[in-house]
Amino acid sequence: MTKAFLIDFNRCNGCRNCQIACKDEHCEQAWLPYAEAQPIIGHYWMNVKEKTRGQVPVVKVSYQPTLCTHCQDAPCVAAGKGAVYQREDGLVIIDPGKAVGLRELVDACPLGAIYYNEELSLPQKCTGCAHLLDDGWSVPRCVDACATEALLYLDVAEIDLSKAETLEQTAAFGPRVYYLNRPRRFIAGLVFDGTINEVLIGARVELLDGEGRVLSSVRTDDFGDFRFNQIEPAVYQLTVFSDLGTRTFNVDTREQDRYVGDIDMTQSG
Amino acid sequence: MTKAKTKTVDKTVMKNLGLCGCGMPANAAAVDVKDGRVVRIRPLHYDQNYTKEELRSYRLEKDGHVFEPGFKSLLPPLSLSYRNRTYSKNRVPYPLIREDWDADGERNPQNRGISGYRRIGWDEATDIIAQEIRRIHDSYGPFSIYTQGEGHGEAKIASGGHGCQIEMLEYCGGSTKQARQPDSWEGWYWGAKHIWGMDPLGQNIHQNGVFRDITENGDAVLYWGADPETTPWGWGGQQASRMCYWFNEIGIKSIFICPDVNYANAVHADKWIPVLPNTDAALQLAIAYVWITEDLYDKDYIATHAIGFDWFEQYVTGVLDGVPKTAEWAFEKCAVKPYTIKAFARYWAKHAVSIAHCNGGGYIRSVFSHEPARLEVALLGMQGVGKPGANQFKFIEWTLFGLDSFSPLPRSETWPTIEAAFHGWNMNPNPSFIPKTRIHDAILDGPIDWYGHVICSFPRHDQFRHFEYPLPEAAPIRMIWSDTPCWATCWNGGYRYQDAIRDASIEFILVQHPWMENDTVFADIVLPIRTMMECRDIATDNMAGQFALLFLEEQAVEPIGEAVSDFKAVYRVAKKLERYGGVYQGLTEKFTRGMTLDESLRLAFEKSGIPANFSYEDLQRQGFWASPLAEGWESETAGLFNFYNDPEAHPLGTPSGKIEYYSVPLAENFPDDDIRGPYPKWVEESDEHQERISSERARYYPFLLVSNHPRWRVHAQCDDIPWLREIQTCKVVGPDGYRYEPVWINPQDAAKYDIANGDVVKLFNERGAVLGGAIVSERIMPGALYQDHGSRLDSIVAGTGGIDRGGANNLIAPSHTTSKNAAGEVTNGFLVGIAKVDVGELAAQYPDQFNREYDPAFGLIASAYIKEDE
Repeated sequence: MTKAFLIDFNRCNGCRNCQIACKDEHCEQAWLPYAEAQPIIGHYWMNVKEKTRGQVPVVKVSYQPTLCTHCQDAPCVAAGKGAVYQREDGLVIIDPGKAVGLRELVDACPLGAIYYNEELSLPQKCTGCAHLLDDGWSVPRCVDACATEALLYLDVAEIDLSKAETLEQTAAFGPRVYYLNRPRRFIAGLVFDGTINEVLIGARVELLDGEGRVLSSVRTDDFGDFRFNQIEPAVYQLTVFSDLGTRTFNVDTREQDRYVGDIDMTQSG
Repeated sequence: MTKAKTKTVDKTVMKNLGLCGCGMPANAAAVDVKDGRVVRIRPLHYDQNYTKEELRSYRLEKDGHVFEPGFKSLLPPLSLSYRNRTYSKNRVPYPLIREDWDADGERNPQNRGISGYRRIGWDEATDIIAQEIRRIHDSYGPFSIYTQGEGHGEAKIASGGHGCQIEMLEYCGGSTKQARQPDSWEGWYWGAKHIWGMDPLGQNIHQNGVFRDITENGDAVLYWGADPETTPWGWGGQQASRMCYWFNEIGIKSIFICPDVNYANAVHADKWIPVLPNTDAALQLAIAYVWITEDLYDKDYIATHAIGFDWFEQYVTGVLDGVPKTAEWAFEKCAVKPYTIKAFARYWAKHAVSIAHCNGGGYIRSVFSHEPARLEVALLGMQGVGKPGANQFKFIEWTLFGLDSFSPLPRSETWPTIEAAFHGWNMNPNPSFIPKTRIHDAILDGPIDWYGHVICSFPRHDQFRHFEYPLPEAAPIRMIWSDTPCWATCWNGGYRYQDAIRDASIEFILVQHPWMENDTVFADIVLPIRTMMECRDIATDNMAGQFALLFLEEQAVEPIGEAVSDFKAVYRVAKKLERYGGVYQGLTEKFTRGMTLDESLRLAFEKSGIPANFSYEDLQRQGFWASPLAEGWESETAGLFNFYNDPEAHPLGTPSGKIEYYSVPLAENFPDDDIRGPYPKWVEESDEHQERISSERARYYPFLLVSNHPRWRVHAQCDDIPWLREIQTCKVVGPDGYRYEPVWINPQDAAKYDIANGDVVKLFNERGAVLGGAIVSERIMPGALYQDHGSRLDSIVAGTGGIDRGGANNLIAPSHTTSKNAAGEVTNGFLVGIAKVDVGELAAQYPDQFNREYDPAFGLIASAYIKEDE
């Protein structure tokens, strides 16, 4: 049965238990025939990448546990000259007995999931804890250590592919690491009346695309806040309507999420 | 493909990897050992011994969502990475003596922290220690030995938690004990108790059922200075995280009020209200102002549940001092926009709102912290605290002091206790003691006096008792014996503490510790102690918010170097003292209580309180025992509902039984105290403290520092773990390759000071400076800086005016206490300046300090301080 990882951004608190458990399993201890010892620092066979999004006072941090995607048509297998193979359960293994000196494997992975052990002259990466699975474990260390069910190890058939996404870098190769709730961009702001120092509740805020089409419309909440979540990176037009008038802004989320500021409807523009 | 079978484990032992110490925390782990080494630390799966039905696990359901407590231990990364602590290159390998300290000659106290160490044998070390103790006893008396044995640490019981030396010395005259203060909840202890009782915490002690209550009735949770994704880790793991996700899932609005995007704010917040460090009191008063002037509070409740409200009302509205506490007034102090304060106040008044805490943070550990604590209760009272969905609860310490009422989650039927084998610190008052916050004053300026035993478990009225040091006719302290060598990195005014422990009056400092870290490098003799992996012991796990556990901890691996347990180290000293006879006669028999380790473990089991039909042999065979949850949690009264419903029948612990907006005991006992007065208020500054942005000092030190409980440590513990140190928010690699403690600075402020990501910076004030690595980030509001506290000491210059490369910012915290009659610590929310540092220039100026041996993975290592044999 082919297995896969399912990772939920909405359940990952960034504790790095997965990253640490991976290191606990592999650093300075070999599990042959699947893995030689990993150096004590510097490799991230499970790598929790973090990104701070937005500006004060709407700031989120997204964590992306990133590991070898154990691709069905793995480029590392192709580049491995027989030193990289795939198990029946789908795990892609770099054979430490055959891969000595194959530094080119590091570049063969479009995701950067293969690390080079300088001391052993060995390319290394996630083994899915194959040695433990062989020994009766039902999941790899990273999954066992996750306290919030953000990280699961399932049969591929159990994953709802209509909701799950894969990473662009390995999408073409049949990756078996899936993500739920990958963050896009947000635009947030607050609407207030600067004359009387009061927020405006229920003000309508419209998000428009480059052609002026209304994509979404929300109303400010009890705090005068509005937010558009999970929008694509693009240049938008934002229009705020209130009894005090209308204000329009261009908002560019191509590079980052945006807090557009506290919008004083008594000002013009 | 044939599957090759690899042997993955020889034996598995259980360990409690919580770091609270004191025999209390959770974090039960399965530790796999192979070829004599720890190879794996992993969660314990309860289904190894039990079914969910047997433990009465539950499903809380709402809108199609389900919460279950989980059926494995919810370890934090600190536990998972703990084998690095055992195999740290910073372990003390054998007994050490400071190279220029001679018990029979020059002691060179001024060189503590500077001079290196040489190896000595256990026999020689314990000979010297016993001689010194006897000399001090004979010359000055027993109270001239100061014992530090109460701080956080590993969860050892029979093998000796912190404080073995205190117990041993009690059998030969006692010692002057460092009092175990309510660190991390100072404001609740010194303030909130005077408005709503709640002994011994000061925070709500009636938390049962609150999680279910919020699920059913709540609209919002205020995370006020709270980080449930950090602070609970060393105490009980990650159940707090799962609770926060539950609130997110079922639409409970999560509002974070803090200067920083702390780690829970980062993933759970629906709304963040940035407030400058330790200015919450202004925000709180402005909220009260809105409620009073707009008639948005529960007057009927106040009439029946509170006394003295008119004082508070008159203060808030400005009748008493001419200053109405408007939102505009508050904005000048706390930087929260007036329109947001008003909107927030109105939202709160219209909804069922509970407040969550975790201890720590700038909210409750800064100057005058009794005020925000009291003001929070004042606000809770105005909205009828105890009504459905409106309570105060904690994400941590759910069985503190063994009390059954602290857990907001369904609680266990039985909490096993294993105190019978505990040789660690205790809460008993000593005749001679010093508040932990005042030790530098005692040494440098003694005699001193203060109010209260300052022990965290003591009741409100104890704060009115007056004490002094030294006791009449007792001599000052001459020796310090510490198993908790992290004072300078964890308490108030660390540089002044370094002045004190290098004072000539301190003739001998003895430290016993597993690692060569922090105050250890100021000791005259260092004894090597085992980590818990090298000990055999017994443990409970009562704070995880799941199922209470009891288990035996087999020794996982052989000791590192010449390490022994804390208990054994003290025993060896006792054995040497015994040779002197007299008061020392029979000391080892008293100290061991006449028991072997086996007998001690068995006794602890027998007294643990678990059902009699489960035997010690069952425990040995089964590995761990787990308690089912108590029945009836679905229908129990939640939080303070009983008080809400009938305050006469269910009074609070105040003299009136009600919320006391005006405290008569404070007014009567401290009539001249204008800082902690009878009713809560805003305090701009005092004779002792000028730590506001309005202060003259702020011209030179314009930022308020957030120094939270650290994400990747427990206070000063774990700062040598390589897998944590390489995380981007744990350390910042400087141009010299050194991993500096991060300093978060908002991009607006960074631009003003020309600071970029990765720059080495110094935080400074007139007390000294500490270095850090800049992270330019929106995770901190303008006007505030953020650097976790507890980073490992790396002195460039020790003492007042010093420089620390490690970034241990407690060194530059104020040394004065919360306020003049409240002896709490001030370790957060104080003024600092920031400047970019040319680290090459500094290295040229201090070559010895910058050339200390340094490991890229572990950082500073023990061999940096140890001189090889000639």
